[in-house]
Amino acid sequence: MIRLLRFSAVVVFFLLSFGSMGETLLAMPPVQRMTLSNQMVLLTSEERSLPFVTLQLLIDAGSRRDSAGEEGAAYLTAKGLLLGTAKRGEKAINEELDFMGASLNSSPGRDYATLNLRVLKKDLEKGLDLFMEVLTHPTFPQEEVKREVQKTLAAIQAAEDQPDDVAEKAFQENLFLSGPYRHPVEGTKKSLPSMTRETLDRFYKKYYHPNHSILAVVGDITPEEVKTKLVPRFEKWPKGKISDAPVQNVFAKGPKTVKIDRMLTQANIILGHAGVSRENPDYYALTVMNYILGGGGFSSRLMEEVRNKRGLAYSVYSYFEPGKFPGSFQIGLQTKNVSAREAISLAREEMKRIQKEPVSEKEIEGARKYLIGSFPMRMDTQGKLVNFLLQVEYYGLGLDYPEKYSRLIQSVTREEVLRVARKYLQPENCILVVVANQKMADIE
Amino acid sequence: MKKSNGWITVGPLLLLLFLLWAPTSQADLGDQVFETTLSNGLKVILLENHKAPLVTFHIWYRVGSRNEEWGKTGLSHMLEHMMFKGTKKHGPEDYSRIIQENGGETNAFTSRDYTGYFATLRSDRVQVVMDLEADRMPNLNLREEDFVTERMVVMEERRQRTEDDPQAFLMEQLEATAFQVQPYHWPIIGWMEDLMRVTLEDLKRYYQTYYNPSNSFLVAVGDFKRGEMLSRIEKTFGSIPQGMAPKQEKPKDPPQAGERRISLKKEAQLPFLVMGYRIPNLHHPDAYVLEVISAILSGGKSSRLHQKLVLEKQLALEADSENSLLSKDPALFYVYATPLPGKQVGEVEKALEEEIERLQKEPVEKRELEKVKNQLESSFIYSQDSLFFQAMLLARYEIAQSWKVLDQYLPLIQRVTPEDIQRVARQYLIPDNRTAGTLLPLPPKPGQEPPVGSSGRDRITR
Repeated sequence: MIRLLRFSAVVVFFLLSFGSMGETLLAMPPVQRMTLSNQMVLLTSEERSLPFVTLQLLIDAGSRRDSAGEEGAAYLTAKGLLLGTAKRGEKAINEELDFMGASLNSSPGRDYATLNLRVLKKDLEKGLDLFMEVLTHPTFPQEEVKREVQKTLAAIQAAEDQPDDVAEKAFQENLFLSGPYRHPVEGTKKSLPSMTRETLDRFYKKYYHPNHSILAVVGDITPEEVKTKLVPRFEKWPKGKISDAPVQNVFAKGPKTVKIDRMLTQANIILGHAGVSRENPDYYALTVMNYILGGGGFSSRLMEEVRNKRGLAYSVYSYFEPGKFPGSFQIGLQTKNVSAREAISLAREEMKRIQKEPVSEKEIEGARKYLIGSFPMRMDTQGKLVNFLLQVEYYGLGLDYPEKYSRLIQSVTREEVLRVARKYLQPENCILVVVANQKMADIE
Repeated sequence: MKKSNGWITVGPLLLLLFLLWAPTSQADLGDQVFETTLSNGLKVILLENHKAPLVTFHIWYRVGSRNEEWGKTGLSHMLEHMMFKGTKKHGPEDYSRIIQENGGETNAFTSRDYTGYFATLRSDRVQVVMDLEADRMPNLNLREEDFVTERMVVMEERRQRTEDDPQAFLMEQLEATAFQVQPYHWPIIGWMEDLMRVTLEDLKRYYQTYYNPSNSFLVAVGDFKRGEMLSRIEKTFGSIPQGMAPKQEKPKDPPQAGERRISLKKEAQLPFLVMGYRIPNLHHPDAYVLEVISAILSGGKSSRLHQKLVLEKQLALEADSENSLLSKDPALFYVYATPLPGKQVGEVEKALEEEIERLQKEPVEKRELEKVKNQLESSFIYSQDSLFFQAMLLARYEIAQSWKVLDQYLPLIQRVTPEDIQRVARQYLIPDNRTAGTLLPLPPKPGQEPPVGSSGRDRITR
C-alpha cells in the first residue's frame, strides 16, 4: 500500500542519487541558464524525443524555516498550494489536471520545497497557467487546510506501523538537540493541531519569492517558447525579501542507546552520529569512503560481512545525509531479534576497520569506476535531469559539474579515504536505535 | 501489492503510444520492435532507443511461484538469490561487482509468473552483462554453504516484507483464501516453514528444469544497432544447449459461489480493508474494461475513490484500486482503503461498495470517460522516458501472452463504452465473487514471542 509518510526515505534517496553522480566521457546535455528580472534563476534543456515537458521549481522554503511551535508549517504550505486558488477550488484544479492527463504536485523537504508539473506539449499553456495560479495565488482555504492537517496526523499514526520509520524518527530526534533539522518535515502530533490557514499564509508570504527560487524546465520546449511562454509568466511573480537569521544544528554526543519495544520478528537498527553538509570540501572523499563501507550495494563491506557471509540481514547500508546544513551519518539494518547484538557489533567493527587500515587498491578503483561510470544514469530521464539541474544550481556547483565531479572522484586516494574515515566516523560515540522485541534482542 | 506496481497498471498504453508518436513515421509495433529466435530456441526481443547512451539488458525465465508445489514454496525466489552465488568461472557476488565496476546497475525480481534479471549500463559495455548471463544460464555453481547462508537472508527478507508489516500479512492471507486450487494460493517468497524444507537438491532440479534457452527470452532496449546487437547475442548465447520447455499449464480455481471473508488481528495503528474480486486477464476483452474501471475509481485526485472517501466524506487516509491485466493466470481486481483514525471499517466498506454499485447503476458520463482515457494515454507517453520501463513492459506482455498484443491495448481501451463498464461491473464486481479481508488492529503490546506467520506482492526484488 502507499506509505504516505516516508519523508526521511525520500530525502535520503534524493541525496544519495546526488552523491553518486559521476561523469564519464559524456557531458551535461545542453543547458541554458538565465536570470529573470525578478532574480529567479531559470535553467532549460530542450529534448524533443517525446511530446511532453517537465518543470520543477525549487523554493527555498523547507522545514528548516519552521518557527518553534509551528513545526510542519513548511510542509503544509507546500501541500496547501494545491488546495485552492483565487480563481479555482481544489476540485476544479484536480479535474482540470486529470482531464489533461497532467500531474502537478508539491514536495516539501528539509532544505527546500519543490513544485512539479508534467504536461503534454499540446497542453503546455494551460498547464503553465495552473502552475502560476497555485504558485502565486493560493488561498489556503480553511476547511481544506483542516482536512490536510487531519490527514497528516493520520499518516503520522500510520507510519508507526513501519518499524524502519519508527527507528528513523527516533534516531533524528535523539541526534539533533536543536537546529533546523530537529523536527520531522511533516511536523509533529503536538505542533500540527494548532495550524491554521493564517500560519500557512504567513509562511507563504515570508518565504515564497522568485529571488529565492530556481526553475528547471526540460523536454519538448524550444528556446523561443521559453522566451514567449515561460519568461513573461514568471516575471509577473514579484520579488520579496527573506531575512535570514543564522542557525545551526547542535548534535547529541553519543554513546547513547534508544530501545523501543514492539512485538516484531526483526530488530530494526540504526547506528550513527553527526555527518556533514553538502558544502564540506571532504564530500567527495566521503562519497568514495561510504561507497566502500556501506553505500555500494552488493559490493560494500557491510553487505559482504552482514549479509553475504553470515546471512544476518536482507538489507544493510550506510549513508551520509548532507544538506544545506550538516545532517546525519547512519548505518541501517534489519535482522531477527536474537541476532541484533551480533549485527550491531559487526557494523561497529566495519566502522573501525575502515579507520584502521587503508582500503585496498581494488576497492577504491571499484568505487571510482562505479561513481564515475554510472553518471549517464543520473540524467537519463526528464525527471532526473530537472532534479540534477536544480541541485547543481542550489549548491552553486556550476554547469561544468559533470567534468569536475569526475576529476574530483578520480583524485580521491586511499590515504584520503583513511583520513576522512578517521575524521568523520565515530564508532564509539554512536546513537544506537533499536526497534525490536527487546526481550529477545537483549541489548545492553 | 504495495503501490509500487501502480505504474504497471497504466503501463500497457505506454509502448503503444510511443510507437504512434515515434518520429520515424507511423511506425507499427512490428517496425519498432524486432523479434527473432536463435537456433537453440532463445527468443530475442530488441527495441532501439537512442535518447541516452545506455542499454538496459534483461533476461527473463518463464518460472515463478506458480511453477512451485505445495510444501516447497519459495523455490523460484530462492533460486533467484542463488543466481548471484557464482559459476565455475566467477565467485559469489562477482556478478554485481563486475556490473558496478562498469558503471552499471543490476538487480533481479521474482513474481508469480516470471523471474527476471537485468543490468542497465553504458551501451559500450553491454558485452559485459551478456557474458555474465550466458555463463550463469547453464553453469551455475550451487553450493550447500552458500545455500544455507542465503536461506537465512531470504528468511530475513520475509520477516521484513511480511511478518512485520500488517497490511502485507493480510494480503497474503487474502490471496490464500481467494485461490484454493491455482498456485496463486501461496506467497511468492514462500511460507516460512517451506523455506526450511527446501534443499539444495530441490534447487538443482528446479534450475535444470527451468533455466535454459527454451524457457527464457532476452529483451534489450536502448542505444544500439539491431544488427550488431543481434550478432553479439548469437555469438554469446547461441551455443547454450536448448533444453526443454517445461509444461506451463496450471489448474485454475472453479468459479466462486459466495463471498469469502477473513480477518486478521495484529498489532497495528489503523485498520485496513481490502476486497479482491475474481476477474479474467488479458486473454479476455473484459480485462480492458476493468482497466478503465480502475482508472475511474483511482486514477488521479479527481478519481471517484479519492474524491469521495478521502476528500468529501473524509473516511479514509487512502483509497485505491488495482487491476491484474498482465497476470498469466486469472487473478484479482483489488479495491482497498485505510480508514482514518476514529472511522469505522464498516462505514468505509459501505462507501467503497457505494462506488462499486454506482458503476453498476449509472452509466459513466462522456466527459469522465474521456478524462480517464486521456490519463491513460498521457501516462503512456510519460513513461517512455525510461528505457527500463520499456523493457519491463515488453517482457511482462511476453510472459502474460505475447509482446505483440501490446498494440491491441490502446484500441481496446478506446473502444470501452459506458455500457461495457456497467455490464462488467455487474458481472465481476459483486459480493459473491469476492474475498474481503479486514485488518483489526490490536493495541501495541511489547516483548513477547511473536507468532511465525505468513507477503502479498506482485513482484519482489532481490
